[in-house]
Amino acid sequence: MTDPTRDLLPEGLEDWLPSEAAAVTRINRAVTDVMDSHGYDRVRPPLIEFEKSMAGRMDGVQPRRMFRFVDPSSLRTLALRSDITVQVGRIAATSLAGAPRPLRLCYGGQVLTIKGDGLDPTRERLQLGAELIGSDSVAAASEIVTIAIEALASAGARNISVDFTLPDLVDTLAKGPFPLDADQIETVRRELDAKDAGALKAGGGGAYLPLLYATGPFADAIEQLAAIDAGGVLAKRIEGLRQIAERISGKARITLDPTERHGFEYQSWFGFTLYAEGVRGALGRGGTYRILGLDEPATGFSLYPDALVDNDRCDTDARDILFLPLGHDVDVAARLRVIGWRTVAALSEGDDAKVLGCTHVLNGKEPMRL
Amino acid sequence: MLPFALTRPKCPLAMTKPLIFAVPKGRILDEALPVMASAGIVPAAEFHDKKNRALSFATEDSDMRIIRVRAFDVATFVAHGAAQVGIVGSDVVEEFNYPDLYAPVDLDIGHCRLSVAEPVDAANGQGSHTSHLRVATKYPNLTRRYFEGQGIQAECVKLNGAMELAPTLGLAGRIVDLVSTGRTLKENGLVETAEILRISARLIVNRAALKTDDRVGALVDAFRAACRTGDDA
Repeated sequence: MTDPTRDLLPEGLEDWLPSEAAAVTRINRAVTDVMDSHGYDRVRPPLIEFEKSMAGRMDGVQPRRMFRFVDPSSLRTLALRSDITVQVGRIAATSLAGAPRPLRLCYGGQVLTIKGDGLDPTRERLQLGAELIGSDSVAAASEIVTIAIEALASAGARNISVDFTLPDLVDTLAKGPFPLDADQIETVRRELDAKDAGALKAGGGGAYLPLLYATGPFADAIEQLAAIDAGGVLAKRIEGLRQIAERISGKARITLDPTERHGFEYQSWFGFTLYAEGVRGALGRGGTYRILGLDEPATGFSLYPDALVDNDRCDTDARDILFLPLGHDVDVAARLRVIGWRTVAALSEGDDAKVLGCTHVLNGKEPMRL
Repeated sequence: MLPFALTRPKCPLAMTKPLIFAVPKGRILDEALPVMASAGIVPAAEFHDKKNRALSFATEDSDMRIIRVRAFDVATFVAHGAAQVGIVGSDVVEEFNYPDLYAPVDLDIGHCRLSVAEPVDAANGQGSHTSHLRVATKYPNLTRRYFEGQGIQAECVKLNGAMELAPTLGLAGRIVDLVSTGRTLKENGLVETAEILRISARLIVNRAALKTDDRVGALVDAFRAACRTGDDA
């Protein structure tokens, strides 16, 4: 009597078998190396923290999306991290509060949400990212976007596309030229996000309609946005976007969608989303934000490169493996490993090199192709 | 042409795959075809052949393919990116509320409304002092959201058609369904008591497709231009 449901994995979680695990390890290393080469120091926050500190560092972080439970020792509520950015924010505001600014930190690790996101049931993901703490200037944003693109490219993403957005656009316009009631702001934001012209007009956001058309390839869209710019409240932001776009031109396709807010819970004036060919959803996003408590500006990006694994797997042909028969010369084998050979040693007479997937066999001092 | 060249060999990838355009069977389709035509999308002749059992059709003058599926499935195909573009009523867009869907163009066709209806005698009788209701509907999410807004917890019985039977047979006290003329309701002894949503057909596109594929943006512009007449946007 076997129970087939005994080993079922919960929804949105999966095992990564050798070929996928190898791919994700390679991606992880490639991205980490790029961040490191730009002077970002790695930090490693814990998996679990007090819910209060996870939720309190940035505006708009939703503890509802985290796994939470009571800590048996402190009796306070703990949360499993769903976004490492907030933990890096905490580190910057506490242990490294005295470190010189701008402070460059990077991180990588698994994050978990209590529910999948929209259509994607995945609950556990690898998050890799870098945060530039102490600045949200155009120069900081340019550096962050550039590194994000370089990191993705090194991880194997092709034809990268960057979508710029202005996360605080509605708030800025509602305070200035296109006033809205407090209860209308949420509707207008939602319908702008869904690009639903009909519902936007019905919700009292008629003045915001032209923003829907300032969307698409950057060169055209930014002109349209500049044309709408009522009273010049956006002039500084538009100029900033142009400078960032110039910095990354040629490295990625750039589009503009000033009203996008999907996944931008805490970003301030600038946000961006990264896409690549053959990958269905976004691969990462980033932007400028403020770390609460310290009230310090910061800029950063997060990549969720799991989706690249499928692309990567077909890039890697089976690697050569050298079979070491019983009684082989262990010093020779060690030397061969040093120069890059991957070995599998026989444990008994019955071990078959072919069955174990080996491509070569050690014959005396020399590897021989099988 | 990336400066960060990749040294690994590249996998063979079909470069420009044809765009997939999903259209709903039934109500909206007849009205949608002229709009599609003025945006430059004309299905091949076999699309109109009633005996043809194919589900996927070619178009004239482009390599775009048209698929004909149920209205709810149009949203699902587009949200998952299996189709990049589609046409569907705003009822379906609102019901699913998929974050990966954009509804950038109101096509101003397929008008109707989503309403609450109940038996004529019940509507006159009891007041609205209830905290729990049983409702038969094809739109459980919209229904729940609407009644939540009124402080009522709605227990939804999901039906796929013939909602009007539910009250008479005691399945649910009221229904939430599409209404255009109101004739079906009347013939079944029901009366419309509240309007939840005004509905018209929308062009929907997949979020990632719009951002990564220029053809999708061009299509949105074409539909905007096609709908510009009579629209002050």
